[in-house]
Amino acid sequence: MMRNLILGSSMFNIFKPVTLLFVIAGLSLNGVANAANLKPVDGDLDAPALVLKDLQGKTHDLKDYKGQVVLVQFWATYCGPCRQEMPSMNKMMVKMGDTPFTILAVDMGETEAEVKQFVSEVKPEFTILMDEEGTSIADWRVFAAPSNFIVGPDGKIKYTLFGGVEWDSDELVEKIKAVALR
Amino acid sequence: MIWRVAYHYWLNIFNNPNQSLMKTMINFRTVLLLVAMVPALIFATGAHAKLLKNIETDDADIEVRVFPAKGNVLLLGFPCDEGKSIAEEKTAQSLADDGVEVWMPDMLGGFMLPKVKSSLAEITTETITAIIAEALKTGKKVYLIASGPDTELLLRAASEWEEGHDEPVSGAILLFPRLFKSTPVPGETPEYVDAVGKTHLPIMLLEGGRTPNRWGLNSLSNELEKSGSEVTSKIIPKVRGYFFKRQDANRSEDVVTSQMAGLIKVSLFYLGENEI
Repeated sequence: MMRNLILGSSMFNIFKPVTLLFVIAGLSLNGVANAANLKPVDGDLDAPALVLKDLQGKTHDLKDYKGQVVLVQFWATYCGPCRQEMPSMNKMMVKMGDTPFTILAVDMGETEAEVKQFVSEVKPEFTILMDEEGTSIADWRVFAAPSNFIVGPDGKIKYTLFGGVEWDSDELVEKIKAVALR
Repeated sequence: MIWRVAYHYWLNIFNNPNQSLMKTMINFRTVLLLVAMVPALIFATGAHAKLLKNIETDDADIEVRVFPAKGNVLLLGFPCDEGKSIAEEKTAQSLADDGVEVWMPDMLGGFMLPKVKSSLAEITTETITAIIAEALKTGKKVYLIASGPDTELLLRAASEWEEGHDEPVSGAILLFPRLFKSTPVPGETPEYVDAVGKTHLPIMLLEGGRTPNRWGLNSLSNELEKSGSEVTSKIIPKVRGYFFKRQDANRSEDVVTSQMAGLIKVSLFYLGENEI
């Protein structure tokens, strides 16, 4: 059975809150994680190649960081949790103390202008790498942001972590310091 | 607008009693012309064109918003939005004005389900195929369209239709599909919901340039192609996912939202549709 009616506009009055819920649900992929989300990687998994330029044009090769623990992060300026967690990454670098440790934060395919604007606002004190073509994103199999890899001094991936996190939490700092001692 | 013009016309006459008769006549003709255009303007905005149609099955009574058009193409959307979606409605009307008929069934409302992702599983196969069957009865070529997590429903609908019916659906448009089974683990190939890789429909994928999901387009395309679909994917620069549902939309997103009908027509073209 079918019926045809002319629609009124009053039915759209509750549109806004429903839309907001929809958007929030959609953004949940970028939710906040915690140290428990640090996922150990089984076996000896070599980190893929990572050779990219920073904002000053200097080339960084992950291989040159052998002997250090490296947090390789894939992020984007439009990613809310990425923006939120960067100050805690600055503090984490201090908390890591004498542990040989570096952060290489790879921007996911944006322009230098977009990233420079972000950097001037958020002020990350670690290395930002540019990957406008997204080559490394495919190599590292990254499908969401922020995606994090903890690479050990031997160049192998020890942990992965998806989502924003308070990187300077004691629990997280201790776990990553322990990677250097393995 | 008509009333404002008429108001200013009469205001002008009252405030300028010395205005020449000729000028008054010209202005009066302008008003008459505008008044004569009222029905055409109402038709052009489509204010009267949207209809409601009910499709009853054993499981649900689905209300379908129909934007009728004379062309030979029918776009069947699965908005799952309890009957609300302003941007989609404007787009649908715009497409109908260009000859593409649009049907938007309110699946959640029909099943009285909340707007959560798990509700999709509660929508029965019989109901989905009944809607497709009803759309095909028009004799038009039917294309499916959905966005975000609702794309799972579209893919399920397509494969289930293909299993039990000979009359073909012509293709599908997936706007910023969200089809991961769970949060993708960095470094691992993502797992997709079961509906992925079951249909052989030609598929067009559209994704925002400012979302990490754009980097998963190749992986998703590969999975969709496993069941024989020919998949085309395009990235829309400068917009985020869900761009036409955002309340904090930026200028680029507003512009693209206003041009959605054109984007969909281009997608239909990529799917092999030449009658648009």
